[in-house]
Amino acid sequence: MSSTTTQPDTSYLLRKLHSFTGLLPVGAFLAEHFWSNSSALVSRAKYDATSQELQTIPFRLIVEWGGIFLPMLFHGGYGIYIWLRGKSNVSAYPWVGNWLYVTQRYTGLIAFAYIGWHLYTERWLTHGTSTYESVAMDMQNPWYLTFFVVGVLASSFHLGVGIWNFLCKWGLAATVRAQQAAGQFGALVGVAFSVVGILIILSFRFDWHPFSAYLPPTK
Amino acid sequence: MAETKQVIVSVKRQAGPKEGARWEEFSLRWRPSMNVIICLRDIAENPVTRGGQKTTPISYDSNCLEEICGSCAMLINGRARMACSALVDQLEQPIRIAPMSKFPLVRDLAVDRQFMFESLKRVKAWIPIDGTYNLGEGPRVSPEIQEKGYPLSNCISCGNCLEVCPQVNEHNQFVGAAIISQVRLFNMHPTGAMNKSERLAALMGPGGIQECANAQNCVHACPKGIPLTESIAEVNRDAWKQALLGWLAG
Ligand code: SF4
Ligand code: FES
Repeated sequence: MSSTTTQPDTSYLLRKLHSFTGLLPVGAFLAEHFWSNSSALVSRAKYDATSQELQTIPFRLIVEWGGIFLPMLFHGGYGIYIWLRGKSNVSAYPWVGNWLYVTQRYTGLIAFAYIGWHLYTERWLTHGTSTYESVAMDMQNPWYLTFFVVGVLASSFHLGVGIWNFLCKWGLAATVRAQQAAGQFGALVGVAFSVVGILIILSFRFDWHPFSAYLPPTK
Repeated sequence: MAETKQVIVSVKRQAGPKEGARWEEFSLRWRPSMNVIICLRDIAENPVTRGGQKTTPISYDSNCLEEICGSCAMLINGRARMACSALVDQLEQPIRIAPMSKFPLVRDLAVDRQFMFESLKRVKAWIPIDGTYNLGEGPRVSPEIQEKGYPLSNCISCGNCLEVCPQVNEHNQFVGAAIISQVRLFNMHPTGAMNKSERLAALMGPGGIQECANAQNCVHACPKGIPLTESIAEVNRDAWKQALLGWLAG
């Protein structure tokens, strides 16, 4: 408690890192992932080509571990630690922000579990060579399908609320009006990710390619 | 209308921090514009429970009776608020009255809020103007800063914002919204700004501003309508700038 120090506490730095990694790289990766997988909405071949492209990026292991797996592991692990140090009281004080506080914790845990399983089935078991065929096969299993839907919704919600939290907690949205706008922006991101995620799932489940008209006519 | 209207009040009693707790119910004579403090005074006048059992007057803190001293915060029907401004006619009966849960109990409804005063000391929530010689006049305070600072200066250290915060609990030492808002107040004052980096550093220590998880309960619970979420956001911005850029740019 020496008040003359000017160095922030480790808990301060870890907390900031937790907040930051949620956006970069974890949130950014989620955006990239949804974007890449959207190619399934065009065609099977387009998806396989995108998948192939990603599987052959240079420095793949370093990018995967340093840019995706480890930051996610830290964000999730430290997030659980933060959860354990809070004590929710939403039944006594059922305000919107308080509800978001609680749901942010549950959706975080669901997303973390889902992503772990998703990585295991689609990255580990396939040795990083997933194809449209293999994903579509998985989607035939109703349990897999349900977990996909729940996982996508939880991740999208967590990202949307996370963006709101981030903008407030770094003081980028400070006034009441700015925080309201930040909340609307977060909601928009959450809804957009949910919709896109569900469309991708539908594409795999029903072999549905609404953007196939973009492809040059085959004659 | 012959019979007099009654007010039923249920109070959590506890003789000391280590004694067992029990609830006692009282039936009081209703009067116009009665508030919770008046109920507690009525009980002190005639400490007999609804069941006719003789008991002791209830310990509690209060002073100004006009929501300005901050001492009478308690849980009324489960919510943290000031007893002196809690009007009986606006409360569901029986009115349940319990002590705040995030501060050490002294007795009955009286709690010890020393933690808040220690935190205020820790962040130097004052403007040092004493010296061994006359320091002369300080810089003028612009009307904009006066206008921004005034609402913040209304804090009565009641502790409601800590009581409702999910991040304030026995697992961590989070200082809470009031203290962060005071740092903002003293940092925006031109003379106070001379200790800005010290205050920010103290707020980046254990239990500092990083513990805020943006549940935003504080701003709903503050009896003085202080823009606490805005204060936290602004201090947060100053803090990370100091932490991140301080060692780069000096
Ligand atoms: S900020 Fe508001 S709720 Fe918190 S101690 Fe001050 S007056 Fe009470
Ligand atoms: S008695 Fe002073 S605030 Fe209630």
